[in-house]
Amino acid sequence: MSDIPQRLLMPSVHDANLWQVRVRPGKERDLVFSLMRKAIDLEFSNRPLQILSAFQRDSLPGMIYVEARSAKQVSDACHGLVGIYPSRGIILVPIEEMASLLQIKKQDLTVTPGSWVRIRRGKYQGDLAQVMDITENGEEVGLKFIPRIDLNPKDDGALDALGKKRKKGAVGLASFSMRPPQRFFNYEEVVKVYGRKAVSKRNQVYVFQNDTYKDGFIEKDFRLTALQLDSVNPTLDEITRFTRGQDGTENESNVDLSIIAEASRKAAISVLQPGDHVEVFEGEQAGVKGTVHSIEQDIVTIQPIQVDVDGQRIQLPARSVRKRFKPGDHVKVMTGQNADETGLVVSVEDNVVTFLSDMSMQEISVFSKDLREAAEVGTGTNVVGNYELHDLVQLDLQTVGVIFKTERDSFRVLDQNGQVRLVQPHQISMRRDSNRAIATDSEGHELRVNDNVKEIDGEGRKGRVLHTHQSFFAFLHNRDYNENGGVFVTRARSLVSLAPKGSVMKLGSADLSKMNPALSGGAMGGMVGSGNLGRGPRDRLIGVTVMVIKGPSKGYVGTIKDTNGPVARVELITGNKVITIDKAKLKRRNPDGTLAPLEGGFMGPPRGPVNQNGRTPNPYAQQGGRTPGWGVGRTPNPYANDSRTPAWNATARTPNPYDSNKTPAWNVSSRTPNPYAADGGRTPAWSANSRTPNPYVNAGNATPARPTWGGATPGRPAWGGASPKPGGSSAAAGWGSPQRPAGSSSGWGDSGWGEPPTNAQTPAVAPTPAFDGPTPGAFAAPTPGVWESYGDFRTPAVDLSRNAAATPGITGPDTFSNQEGEFELPARWLLDPDFVTKKGMVVEVRESFGANGWHNGDYEGKDGVVLSVFDTHNETFAAMARVRFREPLVADQDVLTVPVELLRPVHPSDKDENVMILHGQHKGERAKVNVVEASLMVVTTADFVVEEITAEKLVRLSPEAS
Amino acid sequence: MSQAQAAIPPQPRAKQLRACLLCSIIQTPADFRKHGCPNCEELMQMKGYPDRIQACTTTHFDGVIGVIDPEQSWVARWQRTSKYVRGMYAVRVKGRIPEDVEAELESRGIKYRPRDQSEQD
Repeated sequence: MSDIPQRLLMPSVHDANLWQVRVRPGKERDLVFSLMRKAIDLEFSNRPLQILSAFQRDSLPGMIYVEARSAKQVSDACHGLVGIYPSRGIILVPIEEMASLLQIKKQDLTVTPGSWVRIRRGKYQGDLAQVMDITENGEEVGLKFIPRIDLNPKDDGALDALGKKRKKGAVGLASFSMRPPQRFFNYEEVVKVYGRKAVSKRNQVYVFQNDTYKDGFIEKDFRLTALQLDSVNPTLDEITRFTRGQDGTENESNVDLSIIAEASRKAAISVLQPGDHVEVFEGEQAGVKGTVHSIEQDIVTIQPIQVDVDGQRIQLPARSVRKRFKPGDHVKVMTGQNADETGLVVSVEDNVVTFLSDMSMQEISVFSKDLREAAEVGTGTNVVGNYELHDLVQLDLQTVGVIFKTERDSFRVLDQNGQVRLVQPHQISMRRDSNRAIATDSEGHELRVNDNVKEIDGEGRKGRVLHTHQSFFAFLHNRDYNENGGVFVTRARSLVSLAPKGSVMKLGSADLSKMNPALSGGAMGGMVGSGNLGRGPRDRLIGVTVMVIKGPSKGYVGTIKDTNGPVARVELITGNKVITIDKAKLKRRNPDGTLAPLEGGFMGPPRGPVNQNGRTPNPYAQQGGRTPGWGVGRTPNPYANDSRTPAWNATARTPNPYDSNKTPAWNVSSRTPNPYAADGGRTPAWSANSRTPNPYVNAGNATPARPTWGGATPGRPAWGGASPKPGGSSAAAGWGSPQRPAGSSSGWGDSGWGEPPTNAQTPAVAPTPAFDGPTPGAFAAPTPGVWESYGDFRTPAVDLSRNAAATPGITGPDTFSNQEGEFELPARWLLDPDFVTKKGMVVEVRESFGANGWHNGDYEGKDGVVLSVFDTHNETFAAMARVRFREPLVADQDVLTVPVELLRPVHPSDKDENVMILHGQHKGERAKVNVVEASLMVVTTADFVVEEITAEKLVRLSPEAS
Repeated sequence: MSQAQAAIPPQPRAKQLRACLLCSIIQTPADFRKHGCPNCEELMQMKGYPDRIQACTTTHFDGVIGVIDPEQSWVARWQRTSKYVRGMYAVRVKGRIPEDVEAELESRGIKYRPRDQSEQD
């Protein structure tokens, strides 16, 4: 019988079947016993149980299997038993699966001396223990672990017999938190508490309360079932504690970390991957290094390197190899406490690898099994949840702290009292924004985030201000300090700025009257730092008019009241409702109704919606009068990017649809408003051959939109009126432009177009501004002849009163001068009231030749610095300026008096030069060049107004003057 | 059906239940001491010897089979207990019989099959 191989014992169709029956989990064994007893009881009754056997497997909870010929027999057998549920189905087990039910094999956990286990229950629950020996039948193991002796027993009665019993109960009850800490057995300590009698000594071993203690460890036998054998994962801390022994010096020889490997070998197998560099550390092949070629269960095939057997692969048990790293490798931790840390390996000792973390710059020791080579630099752990490193977070009502380390799903936070806490994201009530917080340092200067400061007392630590809290605490960061990731907390009052604050700071922002809440008025809320402290709004977006572009509120316009991270609170104009909405769903709404991206375009100082140089945010405003939110301070006029009139597309066209760069009626160069004149200077109605006032006839410059002259315009019946829109749509627009109001319609309409040209009246006034305009084009294309012939003909829509007619909406006086080349400094510019009192301008001598030449032109081209200007206010006596020449012809005579006409400004060419603005709104003001572009310079005036200006309008100031 | 029958342990949850390393029958230690192993007492000689019981039986077993009709049952045949008495058997028993018993088996020409399912044939 016993000789038959098991495979021949496989069930056949003649055998009874197995039936799976559901039972209450945990009652499986009971029910098998119950069925057995029931079968025996009923054996000789009328109706004996027909089942042949019943069994249960621990690995299959919630079910038992009954061997019977039919399901009926099974349900009969189950009848009357508690905890068995035949109603949930008596399921037939297929024949081929029957054997496997009995072959289920639990993962065999072998316990060998030296391996690590954890204790499942009791006082030592969860504690790590080392196996010392195993009884022959494998049921009990002798363990060695760190004892937990209560050195503060509750009452002394615990020692007598009665007390012992009570104590036992107490131990059983002892909650996890109440248990005494792990501590090595110390004879003196124990004797002091429990008395000499309680401890007896045999050889090297102490016996105390029926437990034996050796070398500080308790040695105790445990049943295997009370131990956790798998996934023990001893931490390095535990192991070192273990191996260090009682007094920290003992067991030096025991500091053999390879024993940890013993415990974690199984894990090690699973972390091996093909391609890993490994070394064999035990067995015949010990010392062989190679790369993993393949893994099959517990067998790894490695390709050795640096060995004679190259080309030959070695098969090894996975437990005998370990990952190999060498100093300099860049590694990443895959599992454990330090998961996701990356760093450079600095040392390798057996299977403990020490690396320098990329993030914390600290050395971390981990087992090599937890490491992988990785090129990436750890990033992921700086942000957990909504919080990231160096955030100021509110922990509870009284406590705030700064995150100085992020771990896998928790933070280390340094609170304002200097205590370190480990907090989970959910324990943080909110993130604080300390941008609003105000604090002053020891000198009374305002302390701002990112200032570099130093402690004036204590340790004199230096650091960068991360946050301030309640005007009192300052969180600083200095990566030179290892402690707490370089973050420390100190009192703001004990700090001093490392960099001296600029004079601007002292004079400007540190205005004490502004800091005083009492002076700033009730509207400020009386809270320090809440008002206008000259720092602009705390968020540039606050106050911005936006339009919702997505979601249920799409299309609504509102104002941003508050922002918090990616969301903004928007007060809608309609319904006076405040909604919280994602910023991505918002667009900035310009005054002219156009939309722009919410953020970006803030290159200038964050002044919010306030116009930079005080002009109104007129969308039609010219260069200089720009509203923020546009490029480098461009006007919000979406169509204009320079000094062009509004309503014309970005290619800088003027309303004249037939021309480029000219305003419809008002031309930069004061040309005639003839919309059809392409070469300027012509009255609209006149053709070059002066024949007809037909405004559509042009001097060889047929406008593109009017391909045929035959195409008559409406209102000109004589011309046939074939086309209702002779000029096309653009022409129509031109007619509709405000420059040609009634004049065009009534004029055109009234004047008989069909009449002979001699007496035909153009609806406009003849003297076009072109004639007194300075534009050369006007003269180049003279129309006077026309005008003389048809003197009373008027060009349509010319406003005669304004030769320098301005385009509508143009506010600046420099409207027409913005185009380059058109600015020309007067010869006697130095006598301009804005300049005459100034000095320090760098000038050069020009046009000093000639009959009334000055110094025979010797000083032509020489440059110098204006010391003073003397205006005679008299034509008889020339105005003179005293100029100190840089390279005087006569060595000791460097200051000369020069006629102002000869002095021309020297224009700046480089960044950071001090300049004075010669033209524009800021005329006469000092400024500094910030950016030099091809033709433009961006300058900042003393009032911090940023201006974009051509170099011609700037004069260099000598460094001494500033 | 009137065959021999092992003592059925009264308390299935009892922690001290032990399984014979040779025949895998489950009994309480008291029953082992009182009656020995109902199947292999001849070899094991546990009756009255607690030390011997400790060596030849174990608490480390997995799965309980109630064998009601060993002759007919395929389960019993698969477990090679069909010639044994009725009773509770373990599916799997961890450990090996003492060496003296193993030697005795060998001398009788009986192949020892450990019941820990480590060997399959």
